Amino acid sequence: MRLLLAEDDKYLAAGLKKDLQAAGYAVDIADNGVDAEYLGNEPIYDIAVLDLGLPQRNGIDVLKNWRKAGNHLPVIVLTARDAWHERVDGFRAGADDYLGKPFHIEELLARLSALLHRSSQKPAGELKVGDFALDEQQQSVTTADGGHHQLTGIEFRLLRYFLLNSGHVLSKSQLTDHVYDLDSEKDSNVIEVYVRRLRQLLGKERIETRRGQGYIFRDSV
Amino acid sequence: MMHSLESRLSTGLLLSLLIAFALLAVLVSVNIRYVTDDYVASRLQHDTGTLLAALSFDNEGRLLLDAQRIDQVYNQPFSGHYFVISSGTQTHYSRSLWDQRIAHIVVAGGQQTRAIQSGPQQQSLLVLSSGYTLQGYPVSISLAEDLNPIRQDIDQFIYVFIFIAGGILLVLIVLQVLILRSSLRPLQQVKHQLAQLEQGKIKRLDSDVPAEIEPVINELNQLLTVMGQRLQRSRDSLSDLAHAIKKPLTVMRQTIRRIDTAESDRDILVEQVDEIVRLSDRILKRARLAGHSHSDKRFSFDTDLAALIETLAMMYPDRNIQIEKRIDHDVSCPVEREDMLELLGNLLDNACKWAQHKVRISVSSEQQLHISVEDDGPGTAPEKMQALSYRGRRLDETVEGHGFGLAIASDTVDEYQGQISFDKSTELGGLKVDIVLPLKQK
Repeated sequence: MRLLLAEDDKYLAAGLKKDLQAAGYAVDIADNGVDAEYLGNEPIYDIAVLDLGLPQRNGIDVLKNWRKAGNHLPVIVLTARDAWHERVDGFRAGADDYLGKPFHIEELLARLSALLHRSSQKPAGELKVGDFALDEQQQSVTTADGGHHQLTGIEFRLLRYFLLNSGHVLSKSQLTDHVYDLDSEKDSNVIEVYVRRLRQLLGKERIETRRGQGYIFRDSV
Repeated sequence: MMHSLESRLSTGLLLSLLIAFALLAVLVSVNIRYVTDDYVASRLQHDTGTLLAALSFDNEGRLLLDAQRIDQVYNQPFSGHYFVISSGTQTHYSRSLWDQRIAHIVVAGGQQTRAIQSGPQQQSLLVLSSGYTLQGYPVSISLAEDLNPIRQDIDQFIYVFIFIAGGILLVLIVLQVLILRSSLRPLQQVKHQLAQLEQGKIKRLDSDVPAEIEPVINELNQLLTVMGQRLQRSRDSLSDLAHAIKKPLTVMRQTIRRIDTAESDRDILVEQVDEIVRLSDRILKRARLAGHSHSDKRFSFDTDLAALIETLAMMYPDRNIQIEKRIDHDVSCPVEREDMLELLGNLLDNACKWAQHKVRISVSSEQQLHISVEDDGPGTAPEKMQALSYRGRRLDETVEGHGFGLAIASDTVDEYQGQISFDKSTELGGLKVDIVLPLKQK
């Protein structure tokens, strides 16, 4: 899952980026409102964490502009000014969730995961498909035979993206966009390698290849 | 002391009108009597001349009256016209007097007196007595005329006069009331606008008012602007301060997790940071309260509460909690918008945190505004209820469960001189928070 982190404090942003990456997110940082608005309109992001006190353009305005432009990117608002009237204004502007600073990183992660599930119309809790389940905290897969398989970072990101977008045709470049951040070196051929790894784990028929189009993840086989 | 300009003006005007009309009525009725008396007297004077011409003395000094030259009216009994003529011991009475007599005054030659006396048949007589010297003999002539017929006419005239004047007076009073009302209407309008201002329905007073009160209105508007700006400025500064404090604290808390030290040391550091956050939050939120200082924004139970409930629904998307509103029709809120959002936000948030499925907010207003928030959660043990109320007054209490949000709610209620109490919800079974806020006396 690719995440846009709009936060102007560089220490906080750097720390958060590390935590979020560790939790399996590809993270890009925007340190002002104008960049945040521009980046958020790119179709590569799955979720945004938006600080309201951004320089150049206020977070509420960024959010309003996104929504006005028909951009439904799930947004968690972060703010130090967490008065209730601001909270109400934030939700009215189109926020999906709201977190007052300072927060526990665990709470942010839980809310991110919940929001992603909600926007993909998946139930809260573990992501389950057929006879296996993905543990997002442990970044591991439990299979039908009770086997417990730890995933690598990219494997986890890829599988989570597949699970949250099951039934859709996903091109290789799309998968690359949502699994890597701006700073990573991208090679779409690598995706094939990871897909092969996941097929070994979950069974061939789960991930179907559409020649010239990409892959489809099947909920049921 | 309560003054009503309108009642003072109208009683003053009414009294002065009444006095003017009463004076006029008295003057007219007195004067008209004088005038008629004078008129009758001048007629009597004229008749005296005629009578004098009919008088003569013979050679033996006997007074003779030529009956031919006397008006018939003096011969009809009790006609209302009488005379008495005397000269020394001789006296002549008019036949109209019949067997009655009137007081006759002997007057010296060239003198004249006028008097009113009662005559026969309850007549009221004006008597003019004149003294002459005829052929060397002194003669006194008293002529009398009944004033009753003319007085009846006068009385009738006065009745008509008073009736018409009374009518005019009534019309004038009505006119005055109308004029007063219309000239005091701007004041009524200002009063109405002040009430609306108090309820936050308008932001400024209409300055289209008479010149006399325009300076007051302008001054008030100026003051409203200044106070609104001051509140906004202080809130903005507090908001910036909150921002300034919390940003570094957030960084600190994130960083503490990565410090290479004992787990227990990290916990202590996190706890301390949390403590600073909690206390500064509480102090800043308390300082942000507008209280009764002027703000043009009032909380609306229609729009603002709906937005708040929508917000809570989005904050707890997976909890499936139903928030029921029981709001009396046309409830006005004495609390500023941001303060009320803070108060209800904290109460409802607390209720949502503990509720299983249902939260209810009831609002009613009679003399005071009653708000209660209930949930169907586990509630609080009776012995802890006391502590909940108490926690609201202290800053250094540790937060557990219901604590922080309710503490801020208590601060808000205090600021508005209201009361907050905690109880078990009889219908839903969880915690019930009751709030009573005084409404401005109108």
